[in-house]
Amino acid sequence: MSQAYRESLYLFALTQSLHLVAVTTFFGAILIGDLRLLGWGPVAQSRAGIARSAQSVLLWAGLAVLVTGIPQFTTHALTYQRSPIFVFKMCLLAAALAFTATLRQRVAAADEGRLPSWVPRAVGAVSLALWMGVTISGRLITFFG
Amino acid sequence: MKTKILLVLLAAGALWSVRPAQAHHAFAAEYDEKKPVTLTGIVTKVQWVNPHGWIYMDVKQPDGKVKHWTIETAGPSQLSRHGLKKADFTDGMSAVVKAYQGLKDPALANGRTLVLADGRSFYVGSVGGPNDGADR
Amino acid sequence: MPSIVPALEWLEGLAWTTAIRESVWGYPMIETAHVASIVAFAGLVIMMDLRLVGLAFTHAPLAQIQRRLFPWQIAGLVPSTATGLLLCCIDPMRYYGNVFFRVKLVLLALAGLNALAFHLKTYRRAERWDEDPQATATARLAGAVSLLLWSATIVSGRLIAYNWFK
Repeated sequence: MSQAYRESLYLFALTQSLHLVAVTTFFGAILIGDLRLLGWGPVAQSRAGIARSAQSVLLWAGLAVLVTGIPQFTTHALTYQRSPIFVFKMCLLAAALAFTATLRQRVAAADEGRLPSWVPRAVGAVSLALWMGVTISGRLITFFG
Repeated sequence: MKTKILLVLLAAGALWSVRPAQAHHAFAAEYDEKKPVTLTGIVTKVQWVNPHGWIYMDVKQPDGKVKHWTIETAGPSQLSRHGLKKADFTDGMSAVVKAYQGLKDPALANGRTLVLADGRSFYVGSVGGPNDGADR
Repeated sequence: MPSIVPALEWLEGLAWTTAIRESVWGYPMIETAHVASIVAFAGLVIMMDLRLVGLAFTHAPLAQIQRRLFPWQIAGLVPSTATGLLLCCIDPMRYYGNVFFRVKLVLLALAGLNALAFHLKTYRRAERWDEDPQATATARLAGAVSLLLWSATIVSGRLIAYNWFK
């Protein structure tokens, strides 16, 4: 099946492009959440309210990312794992996912006034930095190998 | 409950993404890894540019005719990392290129190894090509 | 109509565009900035569109989401456009001949027109969006069209890398 899929050039490219739309949606959900954590963006809504909505989008977009990402793997091992930037990106991605699913999730869902104001701001800043790092290092793999 | 699903999905995603992936503009969508070619000929033009470089080569066929090849390479960031310089190319120089032929275009190829007339060999492959050891 | 090719070739031949085209760091930085700012911009547009079509953030009044996200969308749009224009200057002939780039420009124009039309309507009926079913229907349509157009723009942008049509 992988063979037939690969030979369908256009299907491969289309899946890859939809993957990008899913990734963009995922990042959009992260970004609106981080903006709110930093005290910007949709400030009329509670952090928890934005986080709840954004989480639904994150789940669905995350699923789309996986579904459109899997067909891109080939059965032949490719050279990526020898790339130091690729390894770095994967470590960042794992850290970003873990941070998002644990600390960020808890801080975002906390009631207003329960936490000192610097906490959600710091969490939003760290989240932005991690996810921006994933995006940037991902692009640099192409250029620096 | 939703959080748990999220956690599991994200963990699965992280595990999946650790596997070798072809995230780049898909070697597989343009080139055939089952069609390696060794091209010996004259370099007529070189484009030392981002995001990919191009080597244009005239290769004499066994039947005497000349085939004009277009060979895609990595960009300057990678090429210079492997020791190649723009000045290493002169129009009309002879070279040998190991590459993979295009899927749709038989005169297109994805370059892996370049051997200059002075014998120096360089890895010119783009990220995401087959695991043929050319980059070692 | 006079051809723009001579102008593009002139651009391509300039020392600074050539230098960036052949650079080790310059081009990677510009291209990465382009992709990163597009993801930020389009990501926030998609969030607003999801609210417009009623799929997410439904607890928040439409007008509030739109107004509060708008400045950040612009903050993403500015570097996206600037880096995009820069990339065009750096390699004009490549993009001129690329069918997916041309399609992307058309889609961008359509998406921009849709956004402009929606924006012109919003400042007049913002408060009514959530109560007036007619306004809600219009918002839903605008959001769906926006989602479609921006997704298509992203897709065609990605396909520029493929050399299928030469």
